[in-house]
Amino acid sequence: MENKNTYWKGLEELNNDPKFLKAKRNEFAEGIPLEEVLTEQDGELTSNRRDFLKYFGFSVSAVALAACNKAPVKNVIPYIVKPENITPGIPNWYATTNPETGASILVKTREGRPVKIEGNPESPIFKGGASAVEHASILGLYDNERLKAPQSEGNEVDWNTLDSKIKTGLASAKNIRLVSGTVNSPSTKKAIAEFTTKYPNTKHITYEAVSNSAMIEANAQSFGKAIVPGYRFDKAKVIVSFGADFLGTWISPVEFTKQWVTNRKVGTAGNGNKEMSRHIQFESNLSLTGSNADMRFPIKPSAEGVVLISLYNKLAAMAGAPTLSGAQNIELALNSVENTAKELWAAKGASLVVSGSNNLDNQLLVNAINSLLGNIGTTVDLDNYSNQKYSNDATFEAFVTEMNNGGVDAVIFMNSNPAYSYFNVKRFEDGLKKVALTVSTNTTVDETSALCKFYAPDNHYLESWGDAEPKAGYYALIQPTISPVFNTREAPESLLRWAGNANDYYTFVKANWSAMGVNEATWNKSLHDGFMYAGEKTAQSYKNNVLPTSAVNAAYQAYTSSKDKIEISLYTKVGLGDGRNANNPWLQELPDPISKICWDNYAAIGKVTADQLGVKDGDVVSISTKGFTIESIPVLVQPGQANNTVSIAVGYGRTRGGKVAKYVGKNAFGLASFNKTIGYNTADVTVTKVSGEYELAQTQTHHTIEGRDIIREASLQEFIKDPKAGNHKHAHIISLWDERDSKGHRWAMAVDMNACTGCGSCVVSCSAENNVPVVGRKEVLNSREMHWIRIDRYYSFKDKDGKALTREAGLAGNMLKGKDEGLIDETTNFENVKVAFQPMMCQHCGHAPCETVCPVLATVHSSEGLNHMAYNRCVGTRYCANNCPYKVRRFNWFKYRENDKFDFYMNNDLGRMVINPDVTVRSRGVMEKCSFCIQRVQAGKLQAKVEGRNLKDGDVKTACQQSCPSNAIIFGDINDSNSEIAKLFKNERSYVLLEEYNVQPSVSYMTKIRNVDETIAGTHAGHGAEHKEEKHEEKAHEHAAHS
Amino acid sequence: MRLLKFTSLFLLLSFSTRFAIADVAEGEKLFTANCTSCHAINEKVVGPALKDVHKRREATWLIKWIKNSQALIKSGDATAVALYKENNESIMTSFENLSDGQLASIVEYIKAESEKPAAAAIANVAGGDATTGTAQTAQDGFYNSTTFWGLSIIAIILFVIVFILFSIRKVVDQLYAQKFPEAVAEEVEQTISWKERPTSVRYKLFKKHPVVGTIVVILAFTVVAGLVGFDYGNKEVGVQQGYAPTQPINYSHELHAGKYKINCLYCHSGADKSKQATIPSASTCMNCHMHVTASKNYDGKVSPEIQKIYNAVGWDADKKAYDPTKPQTPIKWVRIHNLPDLAYFNHAQHVKVGKVECQACHGPIETMKVVSQQSSLQMGWCINCHREAKVDVANNDYYQKLHDDLKAQGKSYATVANVGGLECGKCHY
Repeated sequence: MENKNTYWKGLEELNNDPKFLKAKRNEFAEGIPLEEVLTEQDGELTSNRRDFLKYFGFSVSAVALAACNKAPVKNVIPYIVKPENITPGIPNWYATTNPETGASILVKTREGRPVKIEGNPESPIFKGGASAVEHASILGLYDNERLKAPQSEGNEVDWNTLDSKIKTGLASAKNIRLVSGTVNSPSTKKAIAEFTTKYPNTKHITYEAVSNSAMIEANAQSFGKAIVPGYRFDKAKVIVSFGADFLGTWISPVEFTKQWVTNRKVGTAGNGNKEMSRHIQFESNLSLTGSNADMRFPIKPSAEGVVLISLYNKLAAMAGAPTLSGAQNIELALNSVENTAKELWAAKGASLVVSGSNNLDNQLLVNAINSLLGNIGTTVDLDNYSNQKYSNDATFEAFVTEMNNGGVDAVIFMNSNPAYSYFNVKRFEDGLKKVALTVSTNTTVDETSALCKFYAPDNHYLESWGDAEPKAGYYALIQPTISPVFNTREAPESLLRWAGNANDYYTFVKANWSAMGVNEATWNKSLHDGFMYAGEKTAQSYKNNVLPTSAVNAAYQAYTSSKDKIEISLYTKVGLGDGRNANNPWLQELPDPISKICWDNYAAIGKVTADQLGVKDGDVVSISTKGFTIESIPVLVQPGQANNTVSIAVGYGRTRGGKVAKYVGKNAFGLASFNKTIGYNTADVTVTKVSGEYELAQTQTHHTIEGRDIIREASLQEFIKDPKAGNHKHAHIISLWDERDSKGHRWAMAVDMNACTGCGSCVVSCSAENNVPVVGRKEVLNSREMHWIRIDRYYSFKDKDGKALTREAGLAGNMLKGKDEGLIDETTNFENVKVAFQPMMCQHCGHAPCETVCPVLATVHSSEGLNHMAYNRCVGTRYCANNCPYKVRRFNWFKYRENDKFDFYMNNDLGRMVINPDVTVRSRGVMEKCSFCIQRVQAGKLQAKVEGRNLKDGDVKTACQQSCPSNAIIFGDINDSNSEIAKLFKNERSYVLLEEYNVQPSVSYMTKIRNVDETIAGTHAGHGAEHKEEKHEEKAHEHAAHS
Repeated sequence: MRLLKFTSLFLLLSFSTRFAIADVAEGEKLFTANCTSCHAINEKVVGPALKDVHKRREATWLIKWIKNSQALIKSGDATAVALYKENNESIMTSFENLSDGQLASIVEYIKAESEKPAAAAIANVAGGDATTGTAQTAQDGFYNSTTFWGLSIIAIILFVIVFILFSIRKVVDQLYAQKFPEAVAEEVEQTISWKERPTSVRYKLFKKHPVVGTIVVILAFTVVAGLVGFDYGNKEVGVQQGYAPTQPINYSHELHAGKYKINCLYCHSGADKSKQATIPSASTCMNCHMHVTASKNYDGKVSPEIQKIYNAVGWDADKKAYDPTKPQTPIKWVRIHNLPDLAYFNHAQHVKVGKVECQACHGPIETMKVVSQQSSLQMGWCINCHREAKVDVANNDYYQKLHDDLKAQGKSYATVANVGGLECGKCHY
């Protein structure tokens, strides 16, 4: 039975928006810039024959002149003393750690310069995964705007001068404050301790822009441990998350994705597993995690407390434990709580409830629920706790007050930028003005540094020594992969200097490790591996000390007082996080996983609320709360957004973020407020439409699927009954071409749609590996993004009861109108959408439609099943892009490097250091697309040939595959019958896109299985007549897969 | 009877010689690969000259010494210690990887070389095989400056003679005209212009069929201009065949690779494992030039070219030590082989896997005083080789499946083109 769900990419498509319809009819999604070339600004055609002749004449003579240049003399400069372990042309790999995320990574260097970051597969915690943020962090190293030397009051000075000035200042200071981000490095802690010993009136304050303070406090109260627990999503059969985006941004997303996916992959090769965890999400904005949940219930942030209370009471009733009184007064429209409680109770001890809220009451309730379920010691591990995102809001708040009262006379900022991210910037600035000695070790002149007198710039972490303990007992080392590019110094070393310790930081770290009992051999091994880990401690169970009875009234208050009001909730995006990565062009251009918008933040508003406010996509609203106003921010009508809520991402609107970050989006941190902890949502807000329009750079509706059968999915029950559920082929396959003969390798890829979370790690990894240029907001608006891999996101409806809405049912129930009138009916539940992600890259078709239309044979097929693209042969007709059914080809409209219009990173010598020397940097006027990382294929083969052995499965990994935190992408040789890919191609869940074209793609997708109690794929009955034909089809397909 | 004895003796000798040759051949290979960077037969390089070393030392001692000279020195062996001191205490690389048999072959080779008459030795040193050897001798004998000047003088003399002959003929013609003016006038009448002579080719072309004539002229012009233009264009777009720039150091491959037979991989160590063959770092030069100063040729002073290396690395030739106060300045070699960025070329693939000789692309490098680009490095040149070169399927397990397939088809080999070596994406990505 064919999947009858209606999928759509955006509201434009669903509404049959005239602009969308027009775009759909266009041959190319991108416009052809003829006008641009031929017209003046006023839009009139001013070029004429004479101009043409002038230009023509000029170009002929220019070409003639240019041709007179002799080939330039190129020099080749060898080392004076060649380092023993560097051979030009052969990459070196170093294991190190990204201090921001704590993830163990491998850094690939070529001729001494880091060019690529990948996950460290040997790490038992991160298991080789790396997020978009980690991949992109390499660009920070080559950031031309970093501080190039220490500065004293605006003048560059040498370190000795700076040190003596700061030391003098510190010596006379009575109250020194050291403000830093999370410090989980044992050596940095020790350096701080040494500093504090020297200057005993020092207080260390940890500040995180997006804080987990409430959770830490709650754990201190409930279990007597002020920590962030180590969560174990891999041990949980039922996961209930309240606004915690653990797959995207919460605490340790790579670690959690690796855990989460172990129970999500069903029926893949070598894994006959037919069990799957059930993931339930309560949240207001459609987060990455929510979009991957089996069941998702939109709630307002202020309702989280009451939902938790009623969930607790239902569970307590089952457990025979005392309930929280007063809660029965709350009428809840959510019958989902009842079901959730039943699910959780059934999976006692193997369930997990988490909350992303920074509200102490909510976190206490979560602790109480987990205790009731017996999850403490199993899925909530308080012994192998996390050291990430550890901060304390109250001490920071007290510090700001203290500054304003004139009680602080020296502040040192370390990896911390409160002048941007504190909710009341003015108060912070005013306070800081009263401080005599202000020092910043931040790497750029950011908002906070700009207010400081002394800059002692820190190294980038790829230039630094250091260590980290992201998880209890997991000691990770940071080692330099390049000597410092500028005259900078590790921040802890600066602290040591000021404390009178003359050791360099390497000596200090090593001494510290040997004080920890690490001998030389273990040190060397740890340096090689990147970490030292004795394994997990046995998790103990802890008794919950607190039953938050007082939470009931507060929660009730919060719920009722904001019931009919519009509520703001702030969230972080996968790429930019809290804004520290805002100057990273790769992350700016990475489309948001859900909205597919890049280079901006926006007010995400649900359809119903948007109608109430009278706003639509492209409108601009102003948002104001007590003492803070965002004058104008564009609106995005976001399916899945809870009614009466508006969500805005933080991390944008940097005023001193650097040339890339500057004025991208609006800073929303001002909407936060402080009440014991920093709150990231408020109902005390007015949203008003203001004049003007603003177009958001969205990659989503650039290409359309015309309602084709692209997403195949089934429920777990259906899958258990029939592994082929949702994946029965109906295509009648005829071939125009001869079958290809492929004897050697045949490269192919499988994408498990069940595992893909849509996080975008592969997109950044691919950009780094393949020198994919960044094009900027304006060009994305012109649909000229260059990403070789994109993640398509499809929405589909659920009805009010949470059931999937089929097209027939929708039409019958008047939820959908006829096609011509658009599909939306007023009663449609826009809060309730299902989401499917589909990574899309060149499918390397066996019978590729692009190849047959290329007039110059620039794109041809290889004997190994790859679709080659010879850039130098391409003349840029773009016929291939037109003929590609998957729309994966990208045209270089401009020369993106050395071009002032694209001043991102390829425009300066330092930024270009990141370019992969094994891949051509494409120029203007040529087509490009995913090559299946052919440079890696060739390198893998060569390695085998040099060693005189057969190529093993797994020798060649594409960049997207290597980086995927959920192992959703598998690549290999299907002619090797023992390879994982060969097995996956025969898997029942496997299907190819647009099979009816019989273009024989080399990429196979695997049906998405949702763990829901409903019918998705539909029954296979009533198809008797077609059965015979179908068998034939399957055979044909099998043939296709084998050839 | 005497004849029989003589024959048997001869046979015996020849057999024994053949055995010896077998050893010598292996010894030569090993010697070139391992020893030539520091030793030569007839002169001192880094280590002493090895001529007649088999007479000076016991074979067993030699083997011990080559395997691990330091161990031998430490054991207190008098000869070893003396030798060590004699050679400025420079440490000889140990060759524990070589078997006793292999070392014996090396000694055998040295023995054979030592016993060769001097002239033959030079001829042999000059090239790995006979052809290059003769080429080398020929070059030494013929293309020297004396012959060049000699030939130039002869050429000038010939030109002068031709000039004189022309002058004489002119004078004779004038005299003839003075003496027989009628005869000359008749001759002038007889010579009618081609315009009036229908049989002449020029008449046919330009008078009778002017169109054809024009076309022929244009065609000829086009062909000539095209050829000149193509050649010019080739040079202009970066085809630099024959490009032989002056290098910052007048380094001679003829001397190092040709005369001293230093293995290519000793300096270009990346060639068998990396994309780049790599230009050796100055420190690699110093491995030998710490000791080799060629001062013999420069009145006891360090050769000015070698001094350039010392300047680069900051070496004090008098103290024989690195001087940390001297700045280190990298040597800016001029790159000769410039492949465009759009083409990917990997040395390891060709040298290690394809077992292509360096000379196949770089020409007779061991005869070049100044390196010039021998091949055009154009795509057609690559493709031609890929069409012809056979893949060594038998000796590399990577090709096992291909080898089995070929055997099943009764074929004995596959060319690079057969295994996809002509596909765009193999070099362009």
